[in-house]
This record gives sequence, C-alpha cells and structure tokens, in this order.
Amino acid sequence: MLFFTNRRIGGLLLLAFCVTYAVLSQRIPLLPFQANVAFHARTMPEVLAVLGIGLSIAIIALPSPQEYVALKGKNWVTVFSFLVLMSFYGMTIRPFGFVLSSTILLGVGYWILGERKIWLLLATSVPIAAAFWALMTLGLGVFIEPLPWFLRG
Amino acid sequence: MLEGILIGLTTALTPMNLAFVVAGCLVGTFIGMLPGLGPMSAIALMIPVAAGLDPAAGIILMAAVYYGAIFGGSTSSILINAPGVASTVATSFDGYPMAKQGKAGKALAIAAYSSFSGGVIGAILLLVAAPFLASVSLSFHSTDYFALMVLGLTAVAAFAGQGNVLKAMLMTVVGLMLSTVGTDQTQGIQRFTLGMIDLLDGVSFLLLVMATFALSEALMAILKPKDDESRLKEKEASANLGSMKVSKEEVKEMVPVISRSSVMGFLIGVLPGAGATIASFLAYGTEQRLAGPEKGKLFGKGSVRGLSAPETANNAAATGSFVPLLTLGIPGSGTTAIMLGALIGYGIQPGPRLYIDQPEVFWAVIVSMWIGNIILLVLNLPLIPYIAKVLAIPSRFLLPLILFFSLIGVYFVSFNTFDIQLMIIFAVAAVVLRLLDFPLAPMILGFILGGMMEENLRRALLINNDSWSFLWERELTLSILVIAALTLFVPMLMPLYSKWRKNADRAGEGG
Repeated sequence: MLFFTNRRIGGLLLLAFCVTYAVLSQRIPLLPFQANVAFHARTMPEVLAVLGIGLSIAIIALPSPQEYVALKGKNWVTVFSFLVLMSFYGMTIRPFGFVLSSTILLGVGYWILGERKIWLLLATSVPIAAAFWALMTLGLGVFIEPLPWFLRG
Repeated sequence: MLEGILIGLTTALTPMNLAFVVAGCLVGTFIGMLPGLGPMSAIALMIPVAAGLDPAAGIILMAAVYYGAIFGGSTSSILINAPGVASTVATSFDGYPMAKQGKAGKALAIAAYSSFSGGVIGAILLLVAAPFLASVSLSFHSTDYFALMVLGLTAVAAFAGQGNVLKAMLMTVVGLMLSTVGTDQTQGIQRFTLGMIDLLDGVSFLLLVMATFALSEALMAILKPKDDESRLKEKEASANLGSMKVSKEEVKEMVPVISRSSVMGFLIGVLPGAGATIASFLAYGTEQRLAGPEKGKLFGKGSVRGLSAPETANNAAATGSFVPLLTLGIPGSGTTAIMLGALIGYGIQPGPRLYIDQPEVFWAVIVSMWIGNIILLVLNLPLIPYIAKVLAIPSRFLLPLILFFSLIGVYFVSFNTFDIQLMIIFAVAAVVLRLLDFPLAPMILGFILGGMMEENLRRALLINNDSWSFLWERELTLSILVIAALTLFVPMLMPLYSKWRKNADRAGEGG
C-alpha cells in the first residue's frame, strides 16, 4: 500500500496511456518511399512515446512524497450521477431538442445537488434553456432545433 | 509606433469593441470570483462567444475577460481567503487579514489600484518590447522556432516547482501526444483515430480546454463540497465590505511598491513558463525584505505593501506574458496558450508576421489592455459590492450552470454530440489527474504547441536535406536549445549541488 502514492498511481496510469500510444503509433500507415526519410508521420509519435514511457517510469521509480489520495468523504455518487446526466444530455440534445434536453440537464442537476422545490427547479431551468436558444437562433442566427422529435412539423 | 497606437485606438475604441471590453471585464470578474474558476476557465468559457466575432473583437473580448478574471480572483482571495488561481494566493496573505479587520472595501480598492497600475505600466512596457522583439524575430528560421518551442515547453516544466518538474514534463508530453491525433497535416495519413470519423480532425482545442478546466473544476467542486461554515463566511463577506477610501499615507506607501513590482512582474511575465504566480510571490518577498524589520513584521497581518506588491506584479506579469505570444507565437502561460489556440482558430498565426500582416489585431490587443484596466477601475470597483453577491449564489444552482455552459460551449461550435461524450471522458481523466496532483496547464501548452512544433521540425529537416545537423550548426538554434537545457536541468540539479556542498563543508569541518 505504501508504494502506491499519488505520484506513483499517476505515473502508472500515464505509463499505461503512453504504452497504448506507443502500440498505436506502430499502426500509423507509411508510404513505401517514406521508410528511409528522416521525418515521417510516425517520427513525432515515436519520439513522444519513448519520452512519455521514460518519464512515467522515472516518476514511478524515483522516491515519492508519501501522499495518498483520500477516497472517503467525497461525493462519488453525485459526481457519477452528473457524468451519467451529461452523457444523457449528449444523447438527447438532438432527439429531444435543445430546450427540453437543456431543461432536463439543469433541473435534474439542481435536484441532484439538493434543490427540492419543483417551482424553483422549473423557474431556474426553463427560462435559461429558452433564453439560450433565443440568443443563439434569434440573436446570432445559429439555428438549433428547439422542439422534441414528436412536436416537429 | 505612433501609427500603430492610432490603429489600435481606432479598432479598440469602436462602440462595439468598447462594449466587448466592458462585457469581458464584467463577465471575467464574475467568473474569476467563483472559487475554483480562474482566468483559464473564464477564457475557455468565452471562446464559443468570441468565435462568432471578428478576430480583433474576439481577442479584445478574451483579453478583457482575462484581466477581469484576475481581478475577480483577487476579490475572492481578499473576501473569503479562497484564491481562485495560484497567482492570487499571495494577495490573500494580507488582503484577507485586512478584510477580517473590517477593511474589506479598502483592501479591494488597494488591490484594484495596484492591479490597474501594474496593468497599465505593463502595457506601456509591452508597447516598447513587443514591436522590438517582433522585428528581431523576423530573422528567425523554422529551426529557431522549433528550438523556441522546445524552450517554451521546458520552461513551463522547469517552473513547475520542486518535485513537480517530472510531472509537468510528462503532462507536456501527454499534451504533445494528444496533438498528434487526427489526420497528419502534410501527408494526410490518419493517426490514432481508432477508425472513428469524428477523430479525423483531431481533438478540438476548445473541447480539451473546456473539459480539463471548466468541466473538471465544476466536477471537483461537486466531489469536495464546502462545509456550512465556509458558505456562511462567503455570505457574510459579500454583505459587509466597509469603506473603499484609501488614505494619502497609504497611497504614498503604495507608489514605490507599484513602480518596483510592475517592472519586476512584467519581466517575469515575459519569460515563458514563469507567469503571474512566480511574479506575485517574488514581488511579495522582495517588498517584505525591503520594508525593513518594523514594517516587515506587518506582512501577513494586513500590510498595504504586502497587498499592493503581488497585485501589481501579477497584473504586470499577465501583460508581460503577451510578449512571447504576440511576437514569437509562443504562449508564456496556460492562459496565453488558450488565447493562442483561439487565434489559430481565427486563421491567425501569432508571431513576428502578425505585427506586419494584421497590425489592427496586434495593436488593438495592446490598446485594449489600457482600456480594460481603466474599465476595471472605473466600472468594476464601484460595482464590486454588487458583483460580490455572486459569492452568495448557492452552489447547487451555480455548478449545473457551469456544466451546462461548458457543454453547450463546445456543442455550439461543432454541433457534434460525439464531442460531448469525448468531453466527459477528458473531464474524468482531468479529475483523476487533479486528485493525484498532476498539473494540467503544461498539457494544454504541449497540445497547442505540438502541431506547430512538428511542422517546424519537418520544415527544418526538409530545408537541411533530412539532416539533423541544424540542431548544432545554426548558432541561434543551438543557443536557444542550450538555454532550454539549462532551464530544465539547472533547477533539477540545484538541490543535488547544495546537498553535495553541504556534505563537502561537513567533510572539511571534520577533517
């Protein structure tokens, strides 16, 4: 347990990232005449992969301050709920339309963080979503579909 | 130069651009005041708005948001001892004790006058330094640019602080790696796209900045909520500010501090990677030493000098960081890296040619700095009691709004829902890295400079017939690379050297 300090966990995670990057860099296709040129599409990624792996290993191997990430006492469930909510927003912004999907994002967001008054949830989400749609579409001339699929003509 | 100033004035003083400066300062102050959200997040949130404007107006808006956010950060440092960014930490040393003594209004006024002076003096120095450096850098080749970018990246890592150099270097490399995703610029070969059409254009700069700063900062605030006591403190602080009058004696005390700290701040700001944080701490330390034993004791207990010095220096440094951006096209800080990304988005390549090809952008930025600082003083200071009410907005409303603005900020530019999902992935990675105390600003800098660095290296090799000899044959390139190596290795080797000297001294005493 003592070995896995903040620094080393970060080093390990980034080592995994760099190794994956190195493997993928070998899949970059090269044209036949590029085999012997000094600089081609793989050159930079290969140099970076070597640097990244070297630095990650140095971070893991060198002495590290004894700092450990405190997992307790943090709102993991709330953060996870927000990640799901944001992902849901990404999936629904087109079919549900901008106003409804944004209202859901804001309203549910306020609710997750503890607001329970329905009128306040609506009063602080619907006008903001509608105002942004109006600003973009009517003000800046960027059309965004406001209505859900079942209300579109 | 006079002609340039006139061009700048003509561009910056149009009613529309003036309105952008006012709006930028207000919005920047508002966002900067929110604990956790600094100038980087403020500018990132404004990019989608700026993207719809012409380049000069867009950059003026972002520059105004920048000073506004720095000013706002100082306000939260003084009122609730919660610096939004590292550069305003030193402000809280004396600003917060002053606020606790019931002199919050005075502390805010001193901070505002100091920021104003630092910003204005910095802008005057920028006016002299930028055209000079731009004309010198016209003789730079692609090999020199490559070396300069290496210097910029190593300087950022070197200034990361003891124990963090390796982490900052690794994060820079990660940023460089992310910049290689997408279609290779010259050969049209796909790299790291994983067969996804959405990644053919690479990772969007705006998406990365929004995810790693605005979104991840909001998620961090959700992860570690404030206790009731600090919420109460925020409400009380925003309600009682006291008088904003500064006495003659206090002004007399501030004048020499401001003149020293502004020059020092500017010079530190010009150095790539050093930035406002180092400038503010150095200015604070210098003034503490210069104050003498009696006045020096007041530092940390509400000293006027202790508040004025870091505030002046951080604003002057913020202005100084525009010198490498405007003249060499190399950002000196994370914030200017974001601005560089925005400029590139406009199709403008900052560098020595900017001064010649688009003088209206170059000069408008410089002139807008003066206007921005005047507006901060004339408009923002009287409005502070009202803007400070933002500290009383419950976080249950504020945080979902920040998430919403971040998501639509990216979506409104690309209209691609894949970007929202990619943003979430990056935000999760950023939260993990923040929890593990890995710095994110070097990653952004690496990401911004990655494409340019590869392009310049490729061009340098092409010119030199595929020979790497330009690295040591061209004197300027070699000199810059040597400076880069020294910048990187000297701070790393200093602790080892002092340890070796201590051991040698001990051995000498023993013998």
